[in-house]
Amino acid sequence: MKTTPSETSNSGKSGRWKLWLSLLLVVAAAVAMVAIPVFVIMPFKAQTVAGVEWSYRLRRLSPLATVVATILFLALCVMLWRGGRWPGRLAMVALLAPLLAVTWFARQNHFEWMFNPLPNADYARAGEAGFVADSDMVMAIEINGDAVAFPVREMAYHHVVNDVVGGKPITATY
Amino acid sequence: MWESEVEGKRLTFHLAGINNQNFIMRDEETGTWWQQVSGEAMHGPLKGKKLTRVDNDELTFALWKRENRQGRVLKPDERVKQNYEAADWEAQYAKFRVVTPVDRNDKLSPRTLIAGLVVNGRALAYPLPALEKQRLILGAVGSGGGVTPIFIVLGDDNKSVRAFERAVDGRTLEFYVKPGTSPIQLTDAETATTWDFNGKAVSGPLAGKQLKKIFALKDYWFDWKIYHPDTTVYTLGESPPQSKP
Repeated sequence: MKTTPSETSNSGKSGRWKLWLSLLLVVAAAVAMVAIPVFVIMPFKAQTVAGVEWSYRLRRLSPLATVVATILFLALCVMLWRGGRWPGRLAMVALLAPLLAVTWFARQNHFEWMFNPLPNADYARAGEAGFVADSDMVMAIEINGDAVAFPVREMAYHHVVNDVVGGKPITATY
Repeated sequence: MWESEVEGKRLTFHLAGINNQNFIMRDEETGTWWQQVSGEAMHGPLKGKKLTRVDNDELTFALWKRENRQGRVLKPDERVKQNYEAADWEAQYAKFRVVTPVDRNDKLSPRTLIAGLVVNGRALAYPLPALEKQRLILGAVGSGGGVTPIFIVLGDDNKSVRAFERAVDGRTLEFYVKPGTSPIQLTDAETATTWDFNGKAVSGPLAGKQLKKIFALKDYWFDWKIYHPDTTVYTLGESPPQSKP
């Protein structure tokens, strides 16, 4: 860091106050960036066009932005650590926790926690599919003679299945 | 159901969010966000592109099995199968509230199940309760020389829906359900040919002919209406839907 102990002491109390404010803003911005799309695109709520667009932008930016925020935060901590007291240092450690949490969360797809994906779809012969009731609905396709049924009760959970039917890559969605 | 390739590039889709009770998917390769029901790219590098639909049927397993003895069925994921929807999931979903604005003058309630068709760019919706009463509904879409005669039919399971064009070799046929048939069979007034539920002529003068299928999407009325605001809704007792001039 460029900041030397003498500079820190020269900048005095107001300088430290600015560093603390920056520290809090960095944490608040990172948390907001990750939390806003979670709330905007929540199930059983109405979404607006602008809300979805902003959620997209924030989701897109947050993996990188949270890392930048963490680096900034650590740089500010280094400046504040020297000459700091223990309550202040404890506060820094406490603030690091939510920052690390959102940095991790920005890399997760929480929708796939609720509804696990099915990357290796497996199939049974029509006559041996005892797991589907006759009255259950299926989404059925046939490509190049390859007839495949996707039971709706399975699809309503996974929502998306990427696979190949009749030599053609398809995505079944429900 | 969609082709996974866009401009020669295979995409892998993931569930990524929800937009007014229809889900958003994201592709791993470009990070673009897509609307599930329309296949349209909403945001991201592929914004404005559209996935190519693979027409699928929505049938009861019994009916599908009868038609596809050699077919294959997606197996449940053993790790999560306790989270799958219950057998009565349709009744449960029907109670979920709707978050988008409700039109007070609408003849249909938001959670009415409809079979939605798009023919010659015109959207048509057939409420399932009307299909349960009439089983087979004849229609014609378009005006003047560009009329496409169609029909929609509900299977004897009261769940499977199929729609077809009903012109064969330039001749428009009037279809009926053959009374007392299970699986149901159809016949036409002009030739008395017998047709199966898959639109294939099984016996009679036109035996061997195949009617052209029209993709029918079973959807909630509120969801269909968001993506097809100019839909003509079939109302029980009315003459078959004629599109607006």
